[in-house]
Amino acid sequence: MQVDAGLASPFPRSEELVRATRDLDRGRTSAAEVERRYRLAEEDVVAEERRLGFGSVTAGFLRTDDLFRPYALGWEGFAVGPLTRWLESNTFYRRPVLLHPPARRAGAIRAGLPPPLRADPAGARLLLPGPYTFAELLDNRSGETGPALVHRLGRLLADELRELGGDGFRTFVLSDPLVAIAPPEGPAAASLEEAYRSIGGAVPGATTIVWTYGADPVPALPLLDRLAVTAVGIDLTEVEAERLPQRDRPAGLAAGVVDPRTTLLEEPTEIVRVVRAAARRRRADRLWLSTGAPLDLLPAEAAGRKLGVLAEAARALGGGPGQ
Amino acid sequence: MSATTFRTQEVGSLPRPLWQLQRQRGDRLTDAARAEYERWDRLLGFGGEMPEARAALLGDGPADGEATGALASLFALRYLESAGLDRVYDGEARRVEMYEHPVRRMRGFRFVGHVRSFDAKYYRKAAVTGPVGLERPYHLEEFDFVRAHARAEPKLPITGPYTLADWSYNEYYLGRQPGWKGSAARRSAQRELVVALAREAIRPTLQELVRRGCRTVQIDEPAAGTHPDEVDLVVEGFNAATDGIDAEVSMHVCYTDYPKLLPALLEAKRCRQWTWEFANRDDEDHDGYAVLEQLRDYGDDRSVGVGVVDVHVDRVETPELVADRVVRAARHLGDPARVWVNPDCGLRTRSLEVAHAKLRAMVEGAALARERLGLA
Repeated sequence: MQVDAGLASPFPRSEELVRATRDLDRGRTSAAEVERRYRLAEEDVVAEERRLGFGSVTAGFLRTDDLFRPYALGWEGFAVGPLTRWLESNTFYRRPVLLHPPARRAGAIRAGLPPPLRADPAGARLLLPGPYTFAELLDNRSGETGPALVHRLGRLLADELRELGGDGFRTFVLSDPLVAIAPPEGPAAASLEEAYRSIGGAVPGATTIVWTYGADPVPALPLLDRLAVTAVGIDLTEVEAERLPQRDRPAGLAAGVVDPRTTLLEEPTEIVRVVRAAARRRRADRLWLSTGAPLDLLPAEAAGRKLGVLAEAARALGGGPGQ
Repeated sequence: MSATTFRTQEVGSLPRPLWQLQRQRGDRLTDAARAEYERWDRLLGFGGEMPEARAALLGDGPADGEATGALASLFALRYLESAGLDRVYDGEARRVEMYEHPVRRMRGFRFVGHVRSFDAKYYRKAAVTGPVGLERPYHLEEFDFVRAHARAEPKLPITGPYTLADWSYNEYYLGRQPGWKGSAARRSAQRELVVALAREAIRPTLQELVRRGCRTVQIDEPAAGTHPDEVDLVVEGFNAATDGIDAEVSMHVCYTDYPKLLPALLEAKRCRQWTWEFANRDDEDHDGYAVLEQLRDYGDDRSVGVGVVDVHVDRVETPELVADRVVRAARHLGDPARVWVNPDCGLRTRSLEVAHAKLRAMVEGAALARERLGLA
């Protein structure tokens, strides 16, 4: 079985980058100096992702202020709203306010991607918001119903993927934790399926992964299994593998196996045991290992150690450089 | 003499004056900081009470961190008193912030780095790497100072056990759980940590504070709403921390969906007052106040500190708006005598001028509400 590992969320900013961005905020340094720091930090993250044998790299998405900000700023129809708690965490995002039906602005998302990814799109893994979480967590004043908005955001994200696919990008991780936390039902579920049909079909041959976390995913799995994507993300720190329903046909499995809510390091052998059990029940024909919750809940040094564990587990499962 | 209904208080930290920040960094005062000091000293007259600290602050000699801290505490007291508050403290003037300050005085923690709160705002987090305990009771000097200098009734805010646990990485207690560290193991480990913090660190600190004369304590649990399914842990920690504590204890919880915490939160038996935020979610429908009716329906007879000014915006509420909110809260709760009046949370992110104007409007609004209801 093919096994890969990698980031599904931004990597935390290093202590140097924390200092630099703080200094910029307080008027103690220049934007050019912070840009220099970003570039160095992005190169460091890429080097580490490669050293660990990850099949695709993210450069950490260090500049991203929150999952939605590039879209709230780069697309049309949005304003950036108030600080709002990010799910059950002590971090916050600025809630996008959707004033009018949203529209893409060509090139806006691509322009904000980390430079190392733009330089090597085929080896890049892009992190994007999932349409359901995006629709649910924004302040919708556009007049559009929730299900219609999920559908529309799905089509816009598909257009975004098409543009990025045209540049050579092939791996897309869509962060959609709300699907597990508050699974949609009825028309909302149908809209989500439709949205992912658009997304999954946007770039032929591309890898699209729906990443979920933050809750027991079992109630959402019947819906997740219907999504037209390469792999469905299951946070194995939220559910015992033995409780996962049996799948009736083979599929990709994106498994969240390290927990960024604690600095305690997981045992790679224990990860291997749990992943094998999950893979059996889910009839996984390909595996992507990542974190459960977002890795930037940890400081950089601790996050680096977690990635090391992730890579070790992937190697023990048969993955590694070249996979 | 202060009023008997709609009494007023602060609930969080205050903005730090420039002169305090600069001197505590070891810098000389800039002209702006000096002007700020002089402006507030003219208004409050606090410098004359500590002439040596004032001389050290304004002089060209090396910074005296302790004297600056004491002067900052005195400033905060007079600042709150001059706004007319009934209950005061020193605005947490000498604490780094509400997490790091206590954790640095405990055993079992190791700081591991910064985590982003949002944008370019970060906070330092610690991992629990051993059994938690107390190096030494904390907030004692702070309380002694407040008690010695306050002209209004003093109180002492202290970070609660659940928040300290939630904002830490639970390494030690989770590591003791057998097998895969899934949700059941995490919850069990979190309970151990919360209870240990309550019993081994916070309760001994409260005992020492009470021994020194502290009669009013506010336990801050801003994390209480982060995981609504863990509200029983909030309660267990609160009850363990306050077991046998002879003081009037309140619990401050902010920026959450309060109904989700009920009725479980009401099992915090020694809590005599809830201090919650209302201004932040006061919209045209005013439906945020419905939770007060829930309290009534549950037969809860504790007082409620009602947040009537929004701490995240510079717009200063009018006394009329404050009075509207106070009267509305009193009607929903069904008993004006149980309503206290406070900001939603600490005003630390506002300027000194805006924060003071908001506090004055709050006090005037409380008086106006008394007038409207014909109360003393």
